[in-house]
Amino acid sequence: MNWGFIVTNAITLTCIYGTLAIGISVTWSSLGLVNMAYGFIFALSGYGAWLASVYIGPFPVVVMIAGILTGAIGGLIVCLLAFIPIHDKPNFPLRALIATLAISLVGNQILLWWFGPRAKSLPRLFGSWNADILGVVVTSDKLGASLSAILLLTLILLWMRSSRRGLEIRAMMMNPHAASIVGIGVRRTSIYVMALTGSLAGLAAVLLAQTYYVAPFSGITPMIKGLSIALVGGLGSIPGAVIGAIMLGVNESLTLTFLGGQYVLITQFLLIIVVLLIRPRGISGILDKAREA
Amino acid sequence: MAAPETVSTRPAVLDVQGLSAGWGPMRVIHDLDLTVFAGERIGLVGLNGHGKSTLFQAIAGLTGWQRGSIKLNGYEVGRTRSQGPGRYTHLIVRRGLALIPQGDEIFHGLTVEEHLDSGAFTKRAWAERALRKKRILQIFPPLEKLMKTPVGRLSGGERRMVSIGRGLMSDAELFLVDEPSLGLAPKIGRSVVEALMAVELGGSAMVIAEQNVALLEGSVDRIIGMHAGKLKGEASASKTLSMERNR
Repeated sequence: MNWGFIVTNAITLTCIYGTLAIGISVTWSSLGLVNMAYGFIFALSGYGAWLASVYIGPFPVVVMIAGILTGAIGGLIVCLLAFIPIHDKPNFPLRALIATLAISLVGNQILLWWFGPRAKSLPRLFGSWNADILGVVVTSDKLGASLSAILLLTLILLWMRSSRRGLEIRAMMMNPHAASIVGIGVRRTSIYVMALTGSLAGLAAVLLAQTYYVAPFSGITPMIKGLSIALVGGLGSIPGAVIGAIMLGVNESLTLTFLGGQYVLITQFLLIIVVLLIRPRGISGILDKAREA
Repeated sequence: MAAPETVSTRPAVLDVQGLSAGWGPMRVIHDLDLTVFAGERIGLVGLNGHGKSTLFQAIAGLTGWQRGSIKLNGYEVGRTRSQGPGRYTHLIVRRGLALIPQGDEIFHGLTVEEHLDSGAFTKRAWAERALRKKRILQIFPPLEKLMKTPVGRLSGGERRMVSIGRGLMSDAELFLVDEPSLGLAPKIGRSVVEALMAVELGGSAMVIAEQNVALLEGSVDRIIGMHAGKLKGEASASKTLSMERNR
């Protein structure tokens, strides 16, 4: 039994899924929007990265930046179509759910029609070498994926802690009503939030494409995982999303090794059901005061 | 405050004409007119449910619907609106309104300092925020020790101070203070109201909604009664008394 493999695998998955879950969580708590088009943004940024690798060149930095930028653009598209026109209408959360789901379905079909059903693969961003950390062999793609996810997340969280826009976003996450009273514009802040969370999806897409591939529907499973992690963590809580990501990352890694890949979703949802039975509001129901529907 | 001119010759900060507002089929404010002049401190008294808070919310564009004219510094922020509560609130606020709402409209996870920062939304206020925070700490000394504490952990009185302080951080011309003493121990409530009275208004104006008339008496320029969505009766509180009190 190779515990080193299990642990490194768990860390990599945690980082990638955590990135997605934080994106979904922040969108929900600041805008009240469950972004069902997150999978589409994910797939779109995979294609953005692929196009960059084909037309500009397979340089790791270029591919990664292209993925992140495409993700941000995808987030803006969702914001313009599904948030700004309807955000102050009655029943907004439900309408937004349906609108983003529609964007996801239409968008995925457009990707299928434009790029065809055949999966594309991205160049290896982190080379192919192995590092030996405390006797555990870590492959370059895992190390690179974990480090770049942690790096981008740290940068974004620091920005949210220290900048004025970040203060606005955090204020909106905690009390959207009071935010408008202090002069924070919902529509303008939504543009930052969606670009930011879109870029997180873009990064996750590029990183996950190192092990999987880029395909029109490649975003669905990661989105389901991100959404369920955000749910387990308590929607709207960043620490909760991190804890949820660790739980599901470890679970996925253990299941892969002991049971096989086809059982991952089964054990994952069993775990989610158990957690939500014990803590209906998610792990951090009390860690953070997050938006309630 | 030693201006010899009478209050009514000064420019109007707020001019409300024929305002009706409410939620859905419910009409809470009925054809209300109200003019607030620069430098004025007005007490708005009335029982629960007679529309004091709704009036403030209508001025901020937060009610379900509204019609009628609301001029803030001569700029029309009212008009007829049938949906989208809060859609224009941030723009009205940027025009110079500071709404200090009833209860705790606070951001639980933000520290007191971040909270005060969030009140400074205009470019000038943001640039001067260090200075302004110092000024607010002079008004509310107990906040000094709590600057790095999340607001969710504060007591009710401290939260109210933060909420008022947040309003005072802005460049507002018009302060709408909703029930500053509500839910506080009488002693703390009184000190909060006294702090409000000590704020130098200059060219701005302040309207304080309050159920406890005794708290306002003598320290505001006018007291207006509110009943069933309309303004009823007006008494000008003795100005000299208020000046002495402030000293």
